[in-house]
Amino acid sequence: MRAWGFVFLTYGLVWSAILVYVLRLWRKYRRIKTELALYQREAHRNSSEERV
Amino acid sequence: MAKTGVQRRGILGGLVLLSIASGLYLGLVQAPPDAYQGELQRIMYLHVPSILTAYLSFLIVFVASCLFLWKRERRDDILAHSAAEIGVLFTGLTIIEGSIWGKSAWGVWWTWDARLTLTAMLFLIFIGYLMLRALIEDKMRAGICGAVLGILGFLDIPLIHLSVYWWRTLHQPPSVLRPDKAPWENVHPSMLLALSANMVAFLLLYFYLLSRRVRIAEMEDELEKTKLYGVT
Repeated sequence: MRAWGFVFLTYGLVWSAILVYVLRLWRKYRRIKTELALYQREAHRNSSEERV
Repeated sequence: MAKTGVQRRGILGGLVLLSIASGLYLGLVQAPPDAYQGELQRIMYLHVPSILTAYLSFLIVFVASCLFLWKRERRDDILAHSAAEIGVLFTGLTIIEGSIWGKSAWGVWWTWDARLTLTAMLFLIFIGYLMLRALIEDKMRAGICGAVLGILGFLDIPLIHLSVYWWRTLHQPPSVLRPDKAPWENVHPSMLLALSANMVAFLLLYFYLLSRRVRIAEMEDELEKTKLYGVT
């Protein structure tokens, strides 16, 4: 039973760490995507205003 | 075109989840306990794939760094940087898994064994790589310094692998990557199946993480360009 404790501790730590990293990547991806869309919209507006 | 990339990553994500589930089932339920180590041996179904994935990651750092020094193309630098970050994650996990296994099998969390020490060095070298890149603002300079350190850091891997042959170590010699025996001659088929399933799961997970990390770095570049020059 003691060995299973070590096994579950290892599996728990490993998959939790990987999950945290995946979530961190997702959050960063969403943040950059939102920011990029915002800047691109603004840049488009500016360029069309300049043309007018 | 962008949609195809998203779809590809979606399919890869699905395959990753499926392979992780089968790896967990085979490693925790299907595989028999080891004759000497008992249930503790199940930690190896994570430990071996973790370090082999880390080796692959640092090999990618090495190749991409050489290409970057040669051609100075930003995409090679992005690949090297992304692979180094994920390599650090898998090396850190390898050390944690080994430490927990060591506490139960050897009675200590850590010992200054040649292989353990060299693996800790690899971890610290690439932590240094990430810190160095974060400290240098100019991307080209950061890329060049990172590439040099990445190439030097990779040279630690052959030392880690051969350390169990060169020195008298507490860490056992490899069971899978042996020059004298094929894996199926050395490991029971049911254990080899669990190990292979987890290896596939880790490799798929690795390529999924790498593709996402590279995409994020590309988008960061795009954002920076948009901030500076507007839409081009």
